[in-house]
Amino acid sequence: MKNLYRSVFVLTATLMAGAALAQGNERQTSGIDISGSWYNVGGNGGDGMPILAEYGGMPLNESARLYALAWSPARMTVRQQQCAAYDPSRQLHGGGNYRFWEERDPVTQRLIAIRIYGQITEAQRTIWMDGRPHPPAYAKHTWLGFSTGRYEGNVLTVYTTHLKRAWLRSNGVPQSDQTTLVEHFVRHGDRITYMTVLTDPVNLTEPYVRSTNQFRSVRQPEAWLYACDDGEQDVGRRDDEIPSYLFGQNPYLREYADKNRIPLVASLGGAETMYPEYVTNKTATDAEAMARTRPSTDGLQITSRAVDPEPHDGEIHAWPVQGNVHLLIGDGGNIAVQVGENGALVVDTGTGKLADKVVAAIRKLVGDKPIQYIVNTNFRQEHTGGNATVHEAGSDPSLIGSFFSAGGQSFSDAGVGATIIAHNNVLNRMSAPTGQLAPTPSGGWPSDTFLQGRRRKYYNDEAVEVFWAPNAVTDGDSFVHFRRSDVIVTGDLFTTTQYPVIDIKNGGSVQGLIDALNAILDKTVYKHEEEGGTLIIPGHGRICDEYEVGEYRDMIAIIRDRVQAMINQGATVEQVKGARLTADFDSRYGADTGPWTTDMFVEAVYTSLKQGRPKAGATK
Amino acid sequence: MVLKKILLVILLPAVSLYGQGRGGAQQTPTAKAGAPIDVTGYWVSLVTQDWRLRMFTPPKGDYAGIPLNAEARKIADGWDPAKDEATGEQCRSYGAPTLMRIPGRLHITWQDDQTLKMEADSGTQTRTFLFGNGEGQAGTWQGISKASWEYLPAAVSDTLGAGRGAIDRRGGSLKVVTTNMKPGYLRKNGVPYSANAVLTEYFDRLTEPNGDSYLLITSTVEDPAYLAQPLMFSTQFKKQADASGWNPTPCAAK
Repeated sequence: MKNLYRSVFVLTATLMAGAALAQGNERQTSGIDISGSWYNVGGNGGDGMPILAEYGGMPLNESARLYALAWSPARMTVRQQQCAAYDPSRQLHGGGNYRFWEERDPVTQRLIAIRIYGQITEAQRTIWMDGRPHPPAYAKHTWLGFSTGRYEGNVLTVYTTHLKRAWLRSNGVPQSDQTTLVEHFVRHGDRITYMTVLTDPVNLTEPYVRSTNQFRSVRQPEAWLYACDDGEQDVGRRDDEIPSYLFGQNPYLREYADKNRIPLVASLGGAETMYPEYVTNKTATDAEAMARTRPSTDGLQITSRAVDPEPHDGEIHAWPVQGNVHLLIGDGGNIAVQVGENGALVVDTGTGKLADKVVAAIRKLVGDKPIQYIVNTNFRQEHTGGNATVHEAGSDPSLIGSFFSAGGQSFSDAGVGATIIAHNNVLNRMSAPTGQLAPTPSGGWPSDTFLQGRRRKYYNDEAVEVFWAPNAVTDGDSFVHFRRSDVIVTGDLFTTTQYPVIDIKNGGSVQGLIDALNAILDKTVYKHEEEGGTLIIPGHGRICDEYEVGEYRDMIAIIRDRVQAMINQGATVEQVKGARLTADFDSRYGADTGPWTTDMFVEAVYTSLKQGRPKAGATK
Repeated sequence: MVLKKILLVILLPAVSLYGQGRGGAQQTPTAKAGAPIDVTGYWVSLVTQDWRLRMFTPPKGDYAGIPLNAEARKIADGWDPAKDEATGEQCRSYGAPTLMRIPGRLHITWQDDQTLKMEADSGTQTRTFLFGNGEGQAGTWQGISKASWEYLPAAVSDTLGAGRGAIDRRGGSLKVVTTNMKPGYLRKNGVPYSANAVLTEYFDRLTEPNGDSYLLITSTVEDPAYLAQPLMFSTQFKKQADASGWNPTPCAAK
């Protein structure tokens, strides 16, 4: 009898609890279970091994079409491209084996995440199911992005942001880092139909919708790995030599259309080619098709459709990057802070408008230890504007009481305030010869300058190297490598927000910039499949890794080659600007207003190439 | 006796509450009333995959990706669209297994409480999905399509037993099995399927954060006469607000 009562109690309590939770929505909504091993059975074709200039059915805009037409397959041999991985949709629409499993809280059994391992590129993915928010726009992007999921009846729907720039199709069709992806996993028995809706404001005029089929594998597949190493070498090719076709000169333009006896214009894609009407409306002439292989010259200037990753809310936002290094963002230029047992080393100080908040943010990270060093990557206001305030908030214990300051020596204030380190040309640009009006107050000037190629510090138990990049965007650029944390702070040598501000008047040059980016890439090591490892803090924008620096380098080298080709034909700067040689990058980086427009960038490249690279060294 | 009463008092509300929370297991009177998703309306195909093969008639012998047997390849290699036209068989590539792959628009409506009607403007074809015991017409391009709703099983029924067989009506799929079709083409260039082919389809409706709706059709064709293994593919349509673009056209053999 006692056992019966106990059973009744347990059963009743279980049912009551289940009912109450279901009604109160406190129980996490359950849905389909997709755990297990799966493999792609294809069936929809078309994406696997595309031919060059095969874009039919893709809603490409002009930028994307021109980018793809300029893309040479030899680009895949560039070191940073050799092990580039895939975004989630290309992963799952492609081949290979997949394993799905759940991660649950061991106590509550609530679903925390769904994990996916994909054989192709050894992709390890997490879909968070616990309702956590997506990271801010300045956080790093990855091949697989940041995914959150929810069950909608018999469908698992996943929303992904923070994707790296990738290939929408492996024939050069680009997919930008502004892409967002909605995935639907629909299970019917041992089959998952996987549908994706990919939105890319940089490259697409409409969402790109695809589906494919996965089947449950009864037997555990034995092929799980995907060996890749970037060891391929094209002996003799310079690091700044990036394979690319000039606009209108892709030798394989007609191959796909001719082989399959379809109109050339159809093969060039566009949203109209996705819809049924296209079957009957294929009336464009060959001349119209050819016009689509070059930038339109209707005077329309394309501007960036990328989200500005910097919050403009009057606050300084701190974000851990890696190891001891943090990003401070919000004051116009990125600030890096390395903290440890010795204190803080700060790279750049923002515009100065929020300098007090910058100091407060540094203090929050370093506590009562000193802000000992400031390193400036260039002289510009958005990187040195806060120098004076941060300097005053700090101190350099290595100098206080040293022979520099002791006994009434001439440097009696040594160590009072943080020491500001920069290339000597930064000081030259911020100061002025005696008797002349300096462009910036002396309180923010570098006090510890260098002339040679490298300045070194060992600080907070970490080797810190400051490398001078001669005649890049200015004549005083440096990038900073925190070797243990494995973070490089690039200053304006690399940004994610605009074309590089090559300041010809202050010693900048396009070739110097490309060389500087290659110098950065000489220091970086990726962790896995062109991802992770050395992380990059750009002068403006979000956290990156070496792949994105490589992409930026490729872009500048490609534009350089186009401008040079027109110079070789005797073109004037106005003719070069009118040719829209940046048309395939403008939807990501272009600007027609503000302090640095697309035209200004093109003119800087033109002028730089006409003048040749300045002789490296001090300019004053 | 007292214990039995206590049990009834306690357990009945619990089971009742549970059923409400999970959707319950009650029978629905009609297919229309029990629909877990709304597939009605106008839908336009998004031809983003197999684009060349769907937008243009592939050349004779282009049957890559279809698991044909030797007999089927022989037939496909002998494709003669002129002959099809001459014999009034120009709708061979508009049968149920292929119709969803043809670029076009669909108009889906409830013909009655137990029958969904799907009209396709390409080829001016009509499919009827029978939920009840209605009889379709055998030997036609669209064959006989038997339909049913597939619901998500209620989550805890198997573990507690109390709700075994219960269903969750928060979502589901339309399942359609089509048989008795007139032999036709899986691809416009004469790749054959036989009268014994069986087409199984799942229709799922998916809604995006921006409000766009898609109809995802998951298809399997089994044909012991011509296919060495099942042919599987999926196709997506986008919901339209109205009949814009609706353009009924006759079948074309090439």
